[in-house]
Amino acid sequence: MSQTPRIPDKVINWDILNEIVSMDEDDAGFSQSLLIQFFEQATSTFNQIEQHIKTDKNLDQLGQLGHFLKGSSASLGLQRIAWVCERIQNYGQKREGSGITDDNYIQLIQNSLDLARKEFDSAKSELGQYYKTQF
Amino acid sequence: MDDLGEQLSEGHKDDYDNGIGSVPGGSGSNGKGKSQRTSFNDFVRKLFLILESEEYTSIISWSPDGKNFIVLDTNKFTTDILPKHFKHSNFASFVRQLNKYDFHKVKRKKNEVSEGIQNAWEFNHQYFRRHDEAGLDNIRRKPSSQKKILVDENSVIVRKLGGAPGDDGAFIAGDEEGMTAKMLLKNTVNKTKFNQLKRKVEDMENQVQYLTNENHNMKLDLQKIQSKYNMALESLLSTESFNSQLISNFQILVDALSQQGLKVPVGLSFEKGNSRADNKSHQQRQISDSTGSTPNANIPGLSVNTTLQKQEPIELLPMDQHPVLRPGFHVLLVEDDSVCIQLCSKFLRKYGCSVEVVTDGLSAISTLEKQRFDLVLMDIVMPNLDGATATSIVRSFDNETPIIAMTGNIDDQDLVTYLQHGMNDILAKPFTKDDLHSMLIRYLKDRIPLSEQRQNSNNDPKAYVEEPMLKKPHI
Repeated sequence: MSQTPRIPDKVINWDILNEIVSMDEDDAGFSQSLLIQFFEQATSTFNQIEQHIKTDKNLDQLGQLGHFLKGSSASLGLQRIAWVCERIQNYGQKREGSGITDDNYIQLIQNSLDLARKEFDSAKSELGQYYKTQF
Repeated sequence: MDDLGEQLSEGHKDDYDNGIGSVPGGSGSNGKGKSQRTSFNDFVRKLFLILESEEYTSIISWSPDGKNFIVLDTNKFTTDILPKHFKHSNFASFVRQLNKYDFHKVKRKKNEVSEGIQNAWEFNHQYFRRHDEAGLDNIRRKPSSQKKILVDENSVIVRKLGGAPGDDGAFIAGDEEGMTAKMLLKNTVNKTKFNQLKRKVEDMENQVQYLTNENHNMKLDLQKIQSKYNMALESLLSTESFNSQLISNFQILVDALSQQGLKVPVGLSFEKGNSRADNKSHQQRQISDSTGSTPNANIPGLSVNTTLQKQEPIELLPMDQHPVLRPGFHVLLVEDDSVCIQLCSKFLRKYGCSVEVVTDGLSAISTLEKQRFDLVLMDIVMPNLDGATATSIVRSFDNETPIIAMTGNIDDQDLVTYLQHGMNDILAKPFTKDDLHSMLIRYLKDRIPLSEQRQNSNNDPKAYVEEPMLKKPHI
């Protein structure tokens, strides 16, 4: 995925999510269970990121966690979360240039994490409206 | 005395100076006159005269009892006497000459030797006595010196022939002559031995002949191999030029597409950097062409194709002429993210595939070692072992099963790495159902699931279908 310069306008890419929702025809509740699974995964990943920022400041690990969550969020069409996760991945790999110190990178990741949690909440609420449920 | 001779050995250059050649002068018996006598032991007589004259008593003299003679000062003997009276250049050579006349070095125990002559050399010969000139007639060179005569078949015959006229003419067979003849006979080879040797030589000649032939054959083989190598090299070079042609054509195509408003992914590059990967896919193309499969499935730079299809699925799909995917393909899904696993396996089942899931590279390897799959979908970033490395290991024992990378990292450098590790293609994450479908079509179209093949091959071996497009040479 080539780097998108700006965060996508819409929280959810419905082209992608609709495809998954269409699977519910054979398997009722499939898309919803998948989303619930993702929310759990995301919450635990956010916590892991938080832990690394607070303790060992391991950029490598942080980058991998960003990459991990990027994959699942993107495959569900949660494109803004995916975008933020890619930022975290890039910061973890120190791809923003050599002038930036590790501490700066940690700070950048912290900022991204805050943004990711915000995006996570807005995705939850939009999906809650769609499924008419409370995630 | 023999050991002395060895100790001082320096060659046989001293043979010339004893007044008689290695061939006996045809005399040696007593009473033949002085001139004849001196001709065979001149050396001994000279030595006798020097001793009798007592000219150099500080250097060389008789022993007190007159039975031996002593060289008291070997240095002076070498510098003063040898050059003047003998042709020997050094003392060792002189001693060797004595040795040949059967003189012996007298070994004295240390306490027997009087002060000042520890380094003296004392020699003895039973006929070499003080004032006994007549005794000298009994001193002659040892017959062992006759070894000098070349002993081979021809010389034996010559000597025998030469000996025959000597019986009634000029040749008088003396003691020495008789001994020589015996010596020669001793050194002749008997017939059995000769035949054995002859056979050996013949065997060796045969062997040489055989080896020569073999060598010749090997040279021919080498030439053949060399010409084959040259041909291979040529075809490689032409492949390369054809390949670069393809790349430039492809570049033109991409340019044309982007001019018509199609979004072509950034960073597409088919310059020298990934020529290796291109080469691979090119070879793949050639091979699959020759086996008659549709080239459609083997376009180089597969990732680009993927992306294009994703953007224009409606335009491109009809070209596949309503491809039909047989049900029953067995797919191995290697993925560590549970959401992706569920999604992907859902899609796969929808297309009639059975799915087995493992969650890291190591398990993928061990699973593929035990069981064959029609296709492998492999994530790249995974715990334990990444997908690219796992693929390169799988390729060491399985070169046929298509392995598709699923990844969000699609930098062109990454793509090249995946292809170099032996992955066949790349499915960019996130992918749609259609992306996955076209990938399945590309690799599984026209193929019969392995499970079905096994059933068929039990009944009718001919039904086994080779997998043309998978015979990708792994570099």
